[in-house]
Amino acid sequence: MDLRQEIESLYERHVAQFSDHEAFRSLEEGRTSEEDQDRFLANLVRTHLKSPQILAFLYSLAPPASADSLLHNMLEELGIDDSEGVSHPSLLRQLAEGAGLAPVLPELERLAEWDLRRITVDPLLYETLNEFGFAALCEVTAFEFMLSRLSSRIAGAFSQHRGLDDKTLLWFTLHSEVDIGHAEQGLDNLVHYAHYYDFDGARALTIIEMVMRENVFIKRYLGISGATSE
Amino acid sequence: MAIPFVESFRHSTNNRTTCDSVVVKVSDDTGIRGYGEGAPRPYVTGETPQSMLNHLANELWPAVAEREVPSVRSEGELGLLDGHIGPSIGGDHQASRAALELAILDCVLRRAGLSATQILPPRRDKVIYSGVLTAGKLDKTLALGKQMKLIGLNQIKIKVGLGDDLARVRAIRELFGPEASLRVDANGAWSYEEAKQMLEDLAALQIAAVEQPLRRGPVAELRQLHATSPLPLVVDESLVTMDDAEALIAERAADYFNIRVSKCGGLHRSLELARRATEAGIKVQVGSQAGETAILSAAGRLLAAAVEDLRFAEGSYGTLLLTEDVSFEAVRFGHRGLARPMRGPGLGVTVLEERLTAYARSVLELGRDGPLRS
Repeated sequence: MDLRQEIESLYERHVAQFSDHEAFRSLEEGRTSEEDQDRFLANLVRTHLKSPQILAFLYSLAPPASADSLLHNMLEELGIDDSEGVSHPSLLRQLAEGAGLAPVLPELERLAEWDLRRITVDPLLYETLNEFGFAALCEVTAFEFMLSRLSSRIAGAFSQHRGLDDKTLLWFTLHSEVDIGHAEQGLDNLVHYAHYYDFDGARALTIIEMVMRENVFIKRYLGISGATSE
Repeated sequence: MAIPFVESFRHSTNNRTTCDSVVVKVSDDTGIRGYGEGAPRPYVTGETPQSMLNHLANELWPAVAEREVPSVRSEGELGLLDGHIGPSIGGDHQASRAALELAILDCVLRRAGLSATQILPPRRDKVIYSGVLTAGKLDKTLALGKQMKLIGLNQIKIKVGLGDDLARVRAIRELFGPEASLRVDANGAWSYEEAKQMLEDLAALQIAAVEQPLRRGPVAELRQLHATSPLPLVVDESLVTMDDAEALIAERAADYFNIRVSKCGGLHRSLELARRATEAGIKVQVGSQAGETAILSAAGRLLAAAVEDLRFAEGSYGTLLLTEDVSFEAVRFGHRGLARPMRGPGLGVTVLEERLTAYARSVLELGRDGPLRS
């Protein structure tokens, strides 16, 4: 089994499901109401506000072959690894404010905080932390993969149909540029992780299938069920 | 409610993709709230969400709205609460009764500053939950089985009754190995002859129990099957009321009772059934409703932790099945299906109003004098 290829195929299917979803197409074609556009952006902001914390956790579990790239990702998210000096959470806040969502930003911060808290207090499903870490890495990498392919389209939709300017949309631009590289590295990291922690391919794939039981992009960005039908 | 599932839940008589429970919220005159839940199952208790709302609005609520609720400070006083809700007619309206009973109980306990575990002390400090493999395509079922194995579930119930039962069970036995406890649930799909043959065939696969092999019907038929069965039999759809229980006991027609809070009319009635079962030498399985929210899961946990002789427990799937649950606390079981009693106020969960609102299919508000709005 080629684990990297299996994961990439799974991610591609989920990205296609997301971009083929009526809600996504509606957004891209300018048929979405302003209220639904707001909801999309709010969900996106909530999803990624705590990315530095998640990446810090992943860095702590990183196998040696992936440690540098995960450290780099985390520092980039915090805006202290490159000349831009811009933290990605601040770009998300900038996105929210530029889209007129400043009044709901405190609530989004609270919800993002709560999402993080849930990760810590929910009963552990897996036997050990390394499996839990793999599951988390799967989901983070899935989003990097998706954003590297759809970020520009999403930004384009909001520019064209909502009139958001480049400064407001900088998170998408910056994220799409870095995420092409991150996505490729992310797939490698998953393979390194599985190898380092002695997961055989079948076990690794089972964890990934659990993480991706529902379409996480549909669920988190559209705020609706990402259930896959039989 | 209409909370979507992460994936569809299928058995021989139904294919479910959303939670369609009715959640009842009650408020006392000081503003303290309690929450209960009932899961309508037309093929078990004859209830639908609409029939539950009608029965609650027209029968159950008017009977309690103007009356002082009894305090509940001990297990014995749960019976007073059941009586307060009034008599029921046979096995009808069980989920409606359960929803109202749990809501009032939650409210009364919170008012008294008590946790349900204080009136119903747990006999065990953890409950072990089973995984349930639904009756979908075999390759998907096996993929789900692998996930269950990964998270350490070692007690598995297999939904059967769709034609490929033996092959399905064999494949699942091979996946889980000889140590796992496997049982099957036909949801009444087999004829008498089919059931007789299946029981013989399944005996070779070390099946721990077979649930509801026949449709709910004459107990004598079940007795006859039981008399020659090489495997223990569980009754579920055949066990809704105490009358059902007495008939099954008298006929020696079952080895296990599957007791579910919503199906059996509430916590008090479920406890009484469990007590009667143990008295009669029948083992107890505390079951659940597919897609139940944290409210019913908390009630089920309470029951499972409190019954004297618990053999199997189902439920507390939480966000393993629901895309989102309705409580602040996670009620989902953890690795190996383990979960501890919930010792918070009331039933033990803090219901999030915004989740109820977000997933409400319809809302019916009742005052002292009848419906206020819908």
